Amino acid sequence: MESLNLKKITSLWIITILVLFVVAIVLGIVMRLNQGEVIKLEPLAFYTNMTTHGITMIGIWFVAGMVSVNYLMERYVKTSYSINLFAFVLTVIGVVILWTCTYIGNFSSGWTFLYPLPLKDSGSAPWATPMYLVALTILGIAWLVWSVSLMAQVLKKYSFSQLLAWQHLKSNPKVETPPFILISTVTLIGVIASLIAAVIVIVLYFAEYFSNGNFVNDALLMKNLTYFFGHTIANEMLYLGVAVIYEIFAEVSGRPKWKTTWYVALAWNCSLVFILTAFFHHLYMDFVQPEGLQIIGQLASYLASIPAVGVTVFTIILAVYRVRIKWSIVNLLFFIGVIGWVIGGLGAVIDATISNNVVLHNTLWVPAHFHTYNAMGNVLFSLAFFYWFSTQHIKILVISNQTLYTMGLLLIGGIGFLIAFYMGGADSVPRRYSTYPSGLASASYLAKIGASFAMLYLGAVLIFFYNISKRCFGILYSSPY
Amino acid sequence: MFRNFIFVAILAIQSTINAQHNISTLDEEKNIYEKISNVPLKIVNRDDVRKFELLYKEKPVILALVFTQCSGICNPFLIQLKNSLQFIKTDKNYQILVLSFDSRDNLESMSKLAKRFELDNAINWKFAITDSIQALNNSVGFSPLWDSIRKQFDHEALLVGINQEGYIAKKLIGVRSHYDLELMIRSINHIYTPSYKLPAKNSLFSCFNYDPLTGKNTPGTGLLIIVLPAFITAIIILFVALISRTKRLSS
Ligand code: HEM
Repeated sequence: MESLNLKKITSLWIITILVLFVVAIVLGIVMRLNQGEVIKLEPLAFYTNMTTHGITMIGIWFVAGMVSVNYLMERYVKTSYSINLFAFVLTVIGVVILWTCTYIGNFSSGWTFLYPLPLKDSGSAPWATPMYLVALTILGIAWLVWSVSLMAQVLKKYSFSQLLAWQHLKSNPKVETPPFILISTVTLIGVIASLIAAVIVIVLYFAEYFSNGNFVNDALLMKNLTYFFGHTIANEMLYLGVAVIYEIFAEVSGRPKWKTTWYVALAWNCSLVFILTAFFHHLYMDFVQPEGLQIIGQLASYLASIPAVGVTVFTIILAVYRVRIKWSIVNLLFFIGVIGWVIGGLGAVIDATISNNVVLHNTLWVPAHFHTYNAMGNVLFSLAFFYWFSTQHIKILVISNQTLYTMGLLLIGGIGFLIAFYMGGADSVPRRYSTYPSGLASASYLAKIGASFAMLYLGAVLIFFYNISKRCFGILYSSPY
Repeated sequence: MFRNFIFVAILAIQSTINAQHNISTLDEEKNIYEKISNVPLKIVNRDDVRKFELLYKEKPVILALVFTQCSGICNPFLIQLKNSLQFIKTDKNYQILVLSFDSRDNLESMSKLAKRFELDNAINWKFAITDSIQALNNSVGFSPLWDSIRKQFDHEALLVGINQEGYIAKKLIGVRSHYDLELMIRSINHIYTPSYKLPAKNSLFSCFNYDPLTGKNTPGTGLLIIVLPAFITAIIILFVALISRTKRLSS
């Protein structure tokens, strides 16, 4: 059973994540307003905003997944409260340093800090790059320790093959691996690998930074490692959310708990292997990358996502089709989130196909698809968990009118914001432009539309923020008696 | 004949060295993707005056800037250009415009130059003069210096690749190999020319080791580093699994 300490630290995480989320959305809207020429930022200010927005969003939604998984894992094994707290403290320190680097030091190389940008003089303070790397090191260590500790705990109960549900690939398995444990394991392994890739990139950066020109990095190696880290973590954080769905969707819907079947086991084992090589699709434009790796990139992109999405959608459809279930805001958010995940995933698969990437590479299609499975996918998974967590003591959750209005606002805002990105992408509008050249007539118009809809989305998030954090504060200040 | 050959060879080597020097100052990068000046051209064996625009719209242009009384680089430069182009087997579209930047030149002297190189009947080659050479020089970043004692221009051997929209797609300074010319022809035909920093002594962990002598790439240590995260993860998980297994069995 979850301890009060675990509930308190989870509440603290949730409040912190939601505060940062609201601020990061405002930064996103400011970027769109600038691209729409409604306000005027210096290019450096735009890129510091973009970097802060990107790294903050990735960071908070990754920890949101970890917080949820850690909380639910307590149902199966004892997790470490101290390591959870340690991760929280280091995350806060890391975020403060990151924001100092961007807003005081003008660090502006994008959240992927792609080599050699951070080492070039782009108007940032000389200390900003090493500090940014220090901040990433702090976050990397915190999250690595946290992930390894969770793995160690589940390994105390299940053997490695049981964790990956290999026994389910044969008939009549003797031990049952809950799907939550299977998906969490697959994801944590990917998370550990991606964080190690980050550590290696950081070490290589430091080596060049302090070598006085005696050592330079290989751009191809740095790009491969950067996307090993960046692509993998951005995908794994979504899978953390999916693990949560497998654990509580049926429960909140008043249905029997989902079980691991052979196809669920197979699909997630596929994801484990292929997610670690799908990042090669970020290097299609790098002609020096061997052709074999490009082909692996395309195949792995399909094999990492399609089976996992397929079985999850199939399971959800089975759970809701012609079945009387108790709808609440929690399973509604999960349900819509899965749709967002599927649509964003389709956008990603289209872009990961080499022949399409030639056209879509670095256009707004890229933020279009990743915002779809994040802003309308993963974020909804985590909001659902936050809602469920903060209302566990409430026996019956009903869908009130207020809930419906908030969901409506979220949907209209989110969809409108995304459509503006997709239309820009289809029109070859480049991504990461502070302002658009006059030749791209549709770009700034679409940016204005995107910003307006994003404000509706922000409105809905603020309502969620109020409702969830109010209850989380209650838990935070509650006493055991 | 042999003396001429030696002379040409020495000049070619010298100009290549100069060219190397120039390349390092990034002169070849200047004026790239800028429009060529649309000067009027008088072309040998044609009666009319044509705007440059008519030429490049018809086919992408390789522009060679020379003067007929040159006692330096112009001759080896044109010989090398002619020879190199013979080696290039390409289905790509292009024409060569040899333009004088010396106001003393006229159609007659340019016609003689064409004959001297046996290019007077070559379909792809055009020899021309213009009365607006300064504008053209400015647009390609070419600045010959007049030496009044030698009565010669101090200048570099410059080839300018111009695409069908009139933009300067590539510049080559110095007498260059047919490989470089091939890249220029690709560029003016809108074919992307990839380039990648060659590994230097201070670049450890390259993904590939390129040998300029053989032109071959062999896998480098960098490729091993790419798989390192997965490898370290496997070791960590194995280690944790072993420790946890002991605990699991003992409990
Ligand atoms: C309504 C909410 C949001 C708004 C208005 C917004 C806006 C933006 C904008 C305008 C960009 C720059 C696009 C460009 O390349 O031109 C951007 C980039 C980005 N956004 Fe968002 N976004 C939102 C939500 C999210 C969420 C939920 C995530 C979660 C992961 C996210 C992650 C990112 C990332 C990683 C980048 C890339 C940054 C970079 O290129 O370095 N955003 N966003």
